[in-house]
Amino acid sequence: MARTLNLADIQGNVLRPYGLPKARFFCLNIQNSDEGGRAGRALVEELRHRVTTALPWKPRRSPSATSGDSTLPPKPKVTINLAFTFWGLAALGLPPATLRTMPDEFIEGMKARASLLGDDVCRRDGRDRRESVDHWDPVWKGSGSDQQVHILISVYADMNSDGCPVAELEATTQWLLGLCDQSGGYVRALKGHAASDLPYQESSMLLEPDGKGNQQVSFKEHFGFTDGYGDPVFEGQYPPEQEKINLPGGGKILPDQTWAPLATGEFLLGYPDEAQEVPPASFPLEFTHNGTFVAYRKLHQNVAGFRAYLEQEAKKYMKLNGIDQLSDAKEILGAKMVGRWSDGVPLTKAPTLSDWRAFQARDRAARATGDPAAITAADLEFVDFKYRADPEGTKCPFTSHLRRTNTRDGLDPTGPTTNPPPSEVAKVEAQPGNGSVINNRRRLLRRGMVYGNSDGTNARDEAEHGIIFMAVCASLFRQFEFVQQQWIQYGLDFDVGNDTCPLIGNHGEGSKYVIPGDRQSGTRPFVCANLPQFVEVRGGDYFFIPSITALRMIAMGTIDPT
Amino acid sequence: MPNFDGGHYFLTALIPISTGLVTDSTGTIISPIQKIRNALATLPTARQTPATEATGLNSPFSRNLRTHFARFVVVEDVAYNGRDPVDAIEMALRAQLLGANPVTPQHQDKLDPCPYLIFIADFDAASGAESELASFLELLWKTMPEELTEVLAPCVGFSEVSDAAGFARYIQRCQIETTMPFNDYWTTSPPLKSNGGLLIGVLGIGVVLGLVVAWFIHPGFWISVAILLGGLLAGAAAAIALVMCLGPRPFPAAPHTDLPSVLKALYLQQKFTQLAIDVQGAGDEEIHRQFGRFVAQHTPSQPTPTQSPGVVHS
Repeated sequence: MARTLNLADIQGNVLRPYGLPKARFFCLNIQNSDEGGRAGRALVEELRHRVTTALPWKPRRSPSATSGDSTLPPKPKVTINLAFTFWGLAALGLPPATLRTMPDEFIEGMKARASLLGDDVCRRDGRDRRESVDHWDPVWKGSGSDQQVHILISVYADMNSDGCPVAELEATTQWLLGLCDQSGGYVRALKGHAASDLPYQESSMLLEPDGKGNQQVSFKEHFGFTDGYGDPVFEGQYPPEQEKINLPGGGKILPDQTWAPLATGEFLLGYPDEAQEVPPASFPLEFTHNGTFVAYRKLHQNVAGFRAYLEQEAKKYMKLNGIDQLSDAKEILGAKMVGRWSDGVPLTKAPTLSDWRAFQARDRAARATGDPAAITAADLEFVDFKYRADPEGTKCPFTSHLRRTNTRDGLDPTGPTTNPPPSEVAKVEAQPGNGSVINNRRRLLRRGMVYGNSDGTNARDEAEHGIIFMAVCASLFRQFEFVQQQWIQYGLDFDVGNDTCPLIGNHGEGSKYVIPGDRQSGTRPFVCANLPQFVEVRGGDYFFIPSITALRMIAMGTIDPT
Repeated sequence: MPNFDGGHYFLTALIPISTGLVTDSTGTIISPIQKIRNALATLPTARQTPATEATGLNSPFSRNLRTHFARFVVVEDVAYNGRDPVDAIEMALRAQLLGANPVTPQHQDKLDPCPYLIFIADFDAASGAESELASFLELLWKTMPEELTEVLAPCVGFSEVSDAAGFARYIQRCQIETTMPFNDYWTTSPPLKSNGGLLIGVLGIGVVLGLVVAWFIHPGFWISVAILLGGLLAGAAAAIALVMCLGPRPFPAAPHTDLPSVLKALYLQQKFTQLAIDVQGAGDEEIHRQFGRFVAQHTPSQPTPTQSPGVVHS
C-alpha cells in the first residue's frame, strides 16, 4: 500500500521545490543566555504560523476541483521556512538528551568537516584547516557563540513580469527584521554575505527576455548549463498519478530493471530507509519525525576561468577530432564534463553532436503538438535513462559530474564491463542485475538557486556569482558527505584513482579529466589536464529542518525526551 | 598452510607483554602497555596522502622491498560481549529440574596470563618456507632495529634478543597460524587445474568395489544394496579426503605482484599518463620520438627508476 504523508506537518521545499524564482536567506544568531533562549523561542512562535508546509497549492483554475481542494492553501506570493544549526537548537534551550542524540556531523557543523568534504582548497598552499575557510563569507566564518549562524530563514518569492521580485518579498523582509529588532537585541540577522551590507543572502534564478518585453526564468546556471533535473522520487512524495509520471529516471532501479520509488526514510526522519532501518534520530521521536537535514552551501563559480579553460581545451579537441566550429567543440567538451548538453539533453540519450541535434528536433516537434501526453513523454526523455549499456563511458563519461553525483545503475558490480554494439543495447538493458542498489542510499534532494550575475561575455572570476546549493537528506553523513567525499572528491569507485569531479571537484596540482574514447567509432580518448579550480565553497552549514510539530515544541520550550 | 598464499607470506605473531612496571624517557613510572602504545603512537605510518608525503616521515617498514603491509595491535583483553542470551522457559525448567539459578553470574572469558602485542605482516615469499620467514624478520632487524626495540622492549623475553637471528627466532616462537589471509592481487581467476574428473573417479572406484564385493559373495538383494551404498559412501569419504588434501595447497602468485613490480607499475602508470597528456594532438613521429624517450628514461623492463616504497600514490 502506498505511503500517505502528513503533508501539513512537513515543511515546504522538502518534498518538492517551490519553483519560485526569487529567494532571500537570513542567518539569525540568538544570544546564548536564558533571555536569548526566551527571545529565540518567541521569534519561532511568531514565525511558525507563517511557515509554508508541504501541502500542495490550490489549483488556480480548476473547473473540476475535488472537494478536498477547497481546503488547500492558495499559492503564496512568498514562502517562509526555518532550519536550525546544532548550536541554534542549543541556544533555543533544547534539553541535553535531545541535543546529544543528534548526528555527529550535524553537531560538528560544515566548517569543521571542511577537510573531509574537500572544502579546504587552500590547503595546497600548506595552510592549516582554520585558514582553509578564510575565503568564506564573513557570516559563515564566525565561531564565537555571538557570531554563529543559529537559524536559517529561507524566503522564496514570485516575480513580476519585469523580473523584479513581488513587493511582498521586501514586506516580508522588513517584517522579519522587525521581529529581530523587537527581540531587544537577543536575536540578530547577521550581515557579512560577501561584501554586501544586506542582512540576507540575495538569490535569483537567471532570467532572459521572453521576446514580448518581459523577463522569464532561464533555468541556467552561470556556466551556461540547464540545471535541476533528476530529483529523487520517494514513497509518499507525490500523489500516485504524479508518482507514476516522475518515477522513470527519478526512483530506484530494481533488479528486474523497473523503476520504483525510494524509501521515505532516505529523505524524512522517522520512516524506514533503503536498508529497511529507521535512521537514528534524536529523542523524543516526535521531535524528529517528519523532519530532515539540509546542507546549505554557497558555491562560488569562477565563470571566466571556466570559459577560458573550455575554450583552450576545445581548440585542442577540434584539432584532434576534426571539428570545424570552436563553438561545437566547446559544447562537446562542456557536455562531456557535465553529462548533459548545455540545454540539459542527457549524453546517454544523445552521445554525439548530430544525436543532440536530432534529439532537439524531436523535442521541438513533440512540444509543438501541444498535446500534454506528448510533452510529458518529451520531458521524460531528459531523465529516463540508465548507464548499464555504457560501462566504458563512451556515451557519458563515468567520471562526468552527472554520473558521479547520481550513479544510477552505473556501479552495479554485476553489470557488463564493455559497451555492447548498438544492436545489443536493448537486450543488455533488459538483463536482470542489481539495479541501482549501490546508489539508493546516496540520493539527495537538491534545492538551490543561482545568485549573482555573470554578465554575458564580461564575466570575471572574482565577481559575486554562483549557486546556493542545498542538499536535503535524512543522513548528512551517509548521503551528502559520502557523495561529496567519495564520488566528487575521489575517483576510486570509478576506477580513476584520485581524479575528482571535473566541474565541482578540487583541482590540485596535476589534476586531470579523461574523456574515454570509443573503440566502435575509433574516437581517441581526450585528457583535459591541469584543470583550474572552477567552483569554491564560500560558506554554509548543516541545518535541521523540523516538522511543524517540532517547531511548536521548540517555540513552547516543552521538549520532553523521556 | 594458509600462512602462505599467492606468493605472499602472511605472518601473525602473538607476543606476550610483561605485566610489571617500567619507566618512560622522562622517568615516569608507566605500564608496559602504555610504553608500547607510546612507541606506536609516534611510529610514522606510510605516506598515504599528498599531505603525509609533505611531512618527510615514512614508515620504517618502507626501508625494505618486501613488506606489503604491517600492523601492530595491543590486545589488553578479550572483548566482553555481555551475558549469553537465555531462553526464559528453558531457564525456568533448568531452575526447577536442575536447581540452576539465573542470578548466578555467567563465566567471563579473560586473556590470561598477560596482554599481548599482535604483529601482522604480509610480505613477498617464493615458497612459504620457514627460511623465508626468518630472512624477512632478519631483514627487518637489519633495517629498523631501533624502532623494533622501542616497540617490543616491554615484551616478555625480548631483552634476550641481541641480533637479527635472535629476533627472527623470538618472533617465530610467538607465531600463530594465519587462518584467513587476504590476498587481493588476483583480479581474475587463477589458472587452476580442475580435479573434478579425479573426484568422480574416486567416487566411481568406491561404487565399483561395492559391485565387485557384492558379485563375489552373492548375498541377498538388500544386503547387495547395502554393500553398494557402503561402496558409494567409502568413495565419497575418499573424495572428501582428497579435497581436504588438495585444498590447503597455496594459490599460485598472481603475475607481477611482488613489491618491486607493484611499485614499478604505480610509477609507470603515472609517468605514462603524463606522456599521454604531453603527446595529445602530436603527430605520429613526435609520439614515436616521445615514446622512445619515455622508454629510455623510465626503463619499463628494469626495476628502477621506480616509486619509493611506503608511498601510496597513483
